[in-house]
Amino acid sequence: MKKKRLLLTGLMGSALALSGCAGFQTSNNDESTVNEDGKVVIDFWTFWGSEIRRPVIEQIIADFNESQDEIEVKHTYLPFGDIWTKELASIAAGDPPDVVINDINTTALRGQEKQAMNLSEFLEEDDISERFYPELWNATLHEGDSYGIPFNTDTRVLFYNKDAFEDAGLDPEKPPATWAELEEYAAKLDVKNGDDYERIGFYPRWGIDFDVWMLNAGGQNYFDENNNVQIDTASNLETLEWLKTWQTKYGDDVINAFKAQIDSQQGNPFFNGSLAMYAITPTFYTQIRDYAEELNFGVAPLPERESGSGNTSWGGGFVAEIPEGAANPEASYEFIKYLTDVDAQEYWAVQNFDNVANIEAAENAAASDEFTEDGSMVYQMAVDNMEHTLLTPVPVIAPDFTSYINPNVEEFFLGSMTAEEALAKSQADVENLVDNNSQ
Amino acid sequence: MGKKRLTMRRKESIYGYIFVMPWIIGFLAFTAGPLVFSFMASFTNYNITSQMDFVGVDNYQGLFTEDSLFWTSLWNTLYFVAFSVPLTTIGAILLSALLNQDIPGIRFFRTLYYLPAVLSGVGVYLLWMQLLDPGTGMVNLILSWFNIDGPSWLFDPDWTKPSLILMKMWSVGGSMLLYLASMQGVSKSLYEAAEIDGANTWKQFRHITIPMITPVIFFDVVTSLIGGFQIFQEAYVMSSNGEGGPANSLLFYNLYMWRQAFENFNMGYAMAMSWILFVIVFVLTLINLKLAPRWVHYEGEEK
Repeated sequence: MKKKRLLLTGLMGSALALSGCAGFQTSNNDESTVNEDGKVVIDFWTFWGSEIRRPVIEQIIADFNESQDEIEVKHTYLPFGDIWTKELASIAAGDPPDVVINDINTTALRGQEKQAMNLSEFLEEDDISERFYPELWNATLHEGDSYGIPFNTDTRVLFYNKDAFEDAGLDPEKPPATWAELEEYAAKLDVKNGDDYERIGFYPRWGIDFDVWMLNAGGQNYFDENNNVQIDTASNLETLEWLKTWQTKYGDDVINAFKAQIDSQQGNPFFNGSLAMYAITPTFYTQIRDYAEELNFGVAPLPERESGSGNTSWGGGFVAEIPEGAANPEASYEFIKYLTDVDAQEYWAVQNFDNVANIEAAENAAASDEFTEDGSMVYQMAVDNMEHTLLTPVPVIAPDFTSYINPNVEEFFLGSMTAEEALAKSQADVENLVDNNSQ
Repeated sequence: MGKKRLTMRRKESIYGYIFVMPWIIGFLAFTAGPLVFSFMASFTNYNITSQMDFVGVDNYQGLFTEDSLFWTSLWNTLYFVAFSVPLTTIGAILLSALLNQDIPGIRFFRTLYYLPAVLSGVGVYLLWMQLLDPGTGMVNLILSWFNIDGPSWLFDPDWTKPSLILMKMWSVGGSMLLYLASMQGVSKSLYEAAEIDGANTWKQFRHITIPMITPVIFFDVVTSLIGGFQIFQEAYVMSSNGEGGPANSLLFYNLYMWRQAFENFNMGYAMAMSWILFVIVFVLTLINLKLAPRWVHYEGEEK
């Protein structure tokens, strides 16, 4: 056995040499990267290349470079579709960037696979975990250690058209608080003309999907803290059945036609009042600002399944992390600290109208006088909604679990499976996946 | 005398090797190494960055016995290949036969039908997503003029693969060009002789044109078969979030392999998948090559 393994290693070694592709950590990165001024150069990879985001992150980098004389941060923009596969290749080649922005919900997985560096030694010296929303911080942990520092986040809220509310005889200051109210309001807001709808009150699967509603109904993720699968639950069943009633009510033709308009962005039916309520991220406000300035709208938390069940919402976000094998982790960490501190975060929040991970910065931004009245209202709601917001970090044991749930639920909505069947099959498939992976 | 001829032959073979050298160097440097490496690593739990332990045939065993998505993806890919290869081949032959007529303005039509082959990649996919939109798309609009209630195309798992095949049919221009070129090379005297013998157009097409272009058909079938098995981008772009939905109906083999490699970091497992695909394609190509002498006609070939 041992001999066989040796032979295999030898063969692989020659294969590696042949391919010129280093599969393992090689330590060719020991020499520090220092520029002519004697500063340590930090290569910072992001996917923020748009006209809006790029100047903001580059201003933050310039401010950091200005603020001290030991580190020089260099920004490298890579398209969203390439950045993480490139990062992976560079880690494998032993020459990774120094700081990378990556998805928060998969941070633990990258920690386990030794792609992201364990940050606990820095945190022991200088604990900055208190800066962030606890839900975000916890998503960065794998076996108790953090592998990335939260940068930004998002949540899901309910936008509603106040004029439409008044038109339908509803109080524009009283958005729906429960699922029952949501249905009742939607029915009042519907304006039907023959078979067509001139205005749709609400449809729960535009902007967000069944997974958020399941989270909202049950207040819990598909996995509990011991990795027990909890998909086939009474609450999830009720959620699916409830969503199906909406589908039946409007019919697939109407739903598809409106969906196409929503996907076209500028033509979103919420802008011209033909959709009265819409659940989406708070950053949707920037589209209202750009495409429908005159719209009289309000914003509210997602309604509760029933009074007292909680306005649970869903969020994601991004972390700044140090790839395993980075040349100057101390300098990298120094920059990450700056990036996630109040000043940089507040600047990012205000300029981009984006939810940030730093609590103080988020609260400052909500009070910022750079926002219009509507802007402040939405941002304040986004900040307040963080207390209801759950993240869904992927369990390292089954990172691709959604592939075993979504197809079944899709079959349910298409009518080829009952809700019971879809949930039971998902539960069994995911349990099976967990079993196979833990062998 | 004999000696001189030998050096001549030797010289020629040296020239030959010099001419194929770029390919050989490229193959050794960029293909052979990774090929060997991926075969080795398919027997490990390689995760790209931190682990590579020998696990025997676990990856292969897991694929065949425990992984339902593997079978789904294989089925989807076979379905796509089984329909798209014959349909696009027949489509391209018929189209080039039409465009091989001597009528005024034929160049315009040739350009028109070749145009889709010039456009490529993601832009075309996005265009087709709009065309196939069930509510507002042009395809269903045209169908509605004939009182046909069009399907939901990319939103209905039964129609997603036919949607892609339809899209492939639209862009047969590339292979059409090959067929057209070879049809133009068919000697006019053959048709004249057939006409004198009283063969109608269909018979001429069936017994002259088709046999004369079989080498191109063979080439087209082999390459599009291999290409068909590698379908990836279409599903990645045209399903929501690149997940291969709805209901996994667009989860093609390469998409699933990519996901295992770069999202779950099971690179060893993905490499095992790539070798299974390699064997499938290899066997099919061998069968193709074996069957070829029965139906492919090379002019001037000794029987």
